[in-house]
Amino acid sequence: MGVKQNERPMLILKGIHKFYGKNEVIKGVSLEVQKGELVTFVGPSGCGKTTLLRLIGGFTDVSSGDIILDGQRINDLPPNLRDTRICFQNYALFPHMTVAENIGYGLKINKWPRDRIEARVKELLKMVELDTFGDRMIDKLSGGQQQRVAFARALSLEPKVLLLDEPLSNLDANLRLIMREEIRNLQEKLQITTVFVTHDQFEAMAISDRLVVMRDGLIEQVGSPIEIYERPANEFIAGFVGYVNFMEGRIASIDEKTSDTVINTQYGKIEITLEQDDIVNGDEVLMVIRPESVNISLDRGGKGQNVLSGALKSYMYAGSLAKCTVMIGDRTMIIDQYNPRDAQQFKHAEKVEVEIPRSVHLLKKKS
Amino acid sequence: MVTAEWSVKLQARSGSRAKDFLNANLINILAAFLFLLLAFFLLYPIIAVLLKSVQGPSGFTLEYYRAFFSTDYYFQSLYNTLLLGAINTVVCVVVGFCLAYMTTRGPWLLRKPLKIIALIPLIAPPYLFALSLIILFGRNGLVTRALDLHWQLYGFTGVVISQSLAFIPLAYMMIESTLMSLNPNLEESAYDLGATEATILRSITIPLLAPGLLKAALLIFVMTIAEFGNAAILGGRTPFLAPDTYTVITGESDFNMGSVLSVVLIVPCIIIFFVHNYLLEGKKFTTIGGKPVASEPRKITPLVLAPFVIITTVAAGAIFVCFGVVFVASFFKILGVTHNAVLSNYLDFTSNQAIYNSIRVSFMAAAIGAILGVLMAYVIVRGKFFGRSFIEMVSLSGFALPGTVLGIGYLLAFSAPPLKLTGGIMILALNCVFRFIAVGVEAGISKLHQIHIEIEEASADLGASFLTTFYKIVLPIMFPAFIAGFVYTFMTAIVSLSAVVFLVSPGFDLASVKIFDAAVYGEIGIASATTMKLVLIVMICMLILDFITKKTKLGSSMKKSAAV
Repeated sequence: MGVKQNERPMLILKGIHKFYGKNEVIKGVSLEVQKGELVTFVGPSGCGKTTLLRLIGGFTDVSSGDIILDGQRINDLPPNLRDTRICFQNYALFPHMTVAENIGYGLKINKWPRDRIEARVKELLKMVELDTFGDRMIDKLSGGQQQRVAFARALSLEPKVLLLDEPLSNLDANLRLIMREEIRNLQEKLQITTVFVTHDQFEAMAISDRLVVMRDGLIEQVGSPIEIYERPANEFIAGFVGYVNFMEGRIASIDEKTSDTVINTQYGKIEITLEQDDIVNGDEVLMVIRPESVNISLDRGGKGQNVLSGALKSYMYAGSLAKCTVMIGDRTMIIDQYNPRDAQQFKHAEKVEVEIPRSVHLLKKKS
Repeated sequence: MVTAEWSVKLQARSGSRAKDFLNANLINILAAFLFLLLAFFLLYPIIAVLLKSVQGPSGFTLEYYRAFFSTDYYFQSLYNTLLLGAINTVVCVVVGFCLAYMTTRGPWLLRKPLKIIALIPLIAPPYLFALSLIILFGRNGLVTRALDLHWQLYGFTGVVISQSLAFIPLAYMMIESTLMSLNPNLEESAYDLGATEATILRSITIPLLAPGLLKAALLIFVMTIAEFGNAAILGGRTPFLAPDTYTVITGESDFNMGSVLSVVLIVPCIIIFFVHNYLLEGKKFTTIGGKPVASEPRKITPLVLAPFVIITTVAAGAIFVCFGVVFVASFFKILGVTHNAVLSNYLDFTSNQAIYNSIRVSFMAAAIGAILGVLMAYVIVRGKFFGRSFIEMVSLSGFALPGTVLGIGYLLAFSAPPLKLTGGIMILALNCVFRFIAVGVEAGISKLHQIHIEIEEASADLGASFLTTFYKIVLPIMFPAFIAGFVYTFMTAIVSLSAVVFLVSPGFDLASVKIFDAAVYGEIGIASATTMKLVLIVMICMLILDFITKKTKLGSSMKKSAAV
């Protein structure tokens, strides 16, 4: 995605701790962000993601650890001397200034000559497609327009790192999709290193080069959206980035050559192709089964490989997909059936067969 | 058959038309009743003052106004009063802003202690500061004697200082609440874009705060020009309008001139009330709300911090010293003159009698005021009748009225039939009720705004009549507002001086009047002890209020109205 891996990281966090009084809110976080990369801090509220962003921006002091921006330690620099710019969730646009004055504020503070400010503001307005809005007051703008102004203002001084704190959460659902695409496009075009904070895991997956999943002041996993979704490090992450069905089992055999692996479960044998090397023969495992990865069919008596039979408890048809709740033994499994064709029959079906995919990811069970 | 039965039932239901009419119009009937009360006890006395000021022995005359403006003394009095208001306003707003800035943006450690000190004057009657200045700098003042000063604080300087100290908390509370509502991300954004602390203050904080500062300034101005106690106790030979009114009435029984002085005092108050409530209404910058983030302290450069620290320290120190001095003085007959500590000031019969009287009057005022407050709030918020906003305006205008005006107004209006009240305790209570009615009304309004009308509609939908709904639904929900209105009216009434000083009858002293007299006659010990008793009472009220506010989340809107 245009990220240059070989250069020096633009931003390095080294063993960051943050205490508020006795309360430790960041419990040792280390991370490298490459130049031009968009990294998202994502996690449930209270996980420390916003605090971490504020630490990078300089609004809060780190208790211990180092923040290194483009090779320079910036722990002790106040925000006005740091080459990071933040875009707050509520945009924090100055309501007593026009759009142009807002965007030009940082330039004026940094003593740019007036004609250069004008040119730069014009350029930025054009970039966020608000060419004709320069003289408007802030309260005469829609939410999406305010978002663009905030974005332009943060970009005005060409920061080394752009910090975005839940920038889309004040927009309605449709606009949020549009804006996140625009932000991503601009970010890629400008190759600006960006740290994005959100609690919305789907937004995080859609927009990021890499996700940093946080919980309780710690990083749980760092990885590309695909890695995080398909190969989550633990149950929390598996459940955080989407719905998941877990199923316990024990590794019965692993074929070293083909990676064909047999798992014994209480419902029968499941065969998969093992794609991870942290699992060995005899391990107790949890299978991470995504609702959309399972094939569901009407029970026709015959049983194939990886097919379990179950009772259809509910079938909720919603056009592009149907949500099926299936009882397999005493276990409830949620299955998304996309492009549901036999809806009519499913509606009245009682017995169904579900096919567990061979690509299932495994989590080692903690004993 | 079934339909016939139904129609019979239906007829039975709508049986008494008079009852239905009553039910549907009860809120209007209530409104009319409340309006009559307001008209009679608030508007009528004011009109009486206006009439008296133009009513000569042979009908209408402007002679008294001519006399006022052609007498140097009165002109000086007007000038002094306006100048006092202006200086006070500037001092209070500046100090209030510094304090508010420190308690909302300053280092964590300083926030709480500064806030407490800034709010301490609230528990004191405003004239405590006049009293403490007499103890320190009066004729027999501690400092005066220690340094053998020939300069005394009586006069303009003394009044300015005591008034400023007295009104700092009001300015502080108003400015603090606007500062708190200012999204801290705005200042952080400016910081982030490279601004220094001084630049943030100049380009972001102060411009955004301007409407709030202006509101606070207007209110302080109105309150200080109308304030009676400090000017009367410390004014010496320097004329001010409020105490002059008192002298003219009690000394010379010149009601005409007294009324003229009152009207002159009313005019700026009314103008400012309208500016405050209508011109400035909605003049606020709105921003998109996010999660409320507590404003973390910034690394404020010493150059910016220094003036804030100096101003807040001086103000906090002065407040502290004034309280301490009055407290100590309450244990001496005359502090600095007599040297053995005594408890006799606290045991003084006349002082305790006055406290007892004050409690009685204030209790009556609080009970009536709180009930009327809740009812008026209900009518104002839920009523849909013509003149609703008029009732709101009248009921909330009480605070803008100088106490002296309502004092004279009550003397004029109720000293003769149809309703003769003078000489009794009732006139004192009613005076307090209608002077401070805004308090109860504001408490009620702020609580009512938290109740969705759907709750009442649900009740009505289930078949309850207006009265049942009001009784079973509205009253229980409004109860915290009632208690808050009660306690606040009580503590405001018990320290109030400017109106009741006209209305007390000989032999029936109120605590505030007793303090005033004692201070004027040099009975410093008695005055101090009585003041401390009032402080104690107000403190207890504050604790109760705080408890209620926390219990019921009556919220900051109430606090704001408490500031008014």
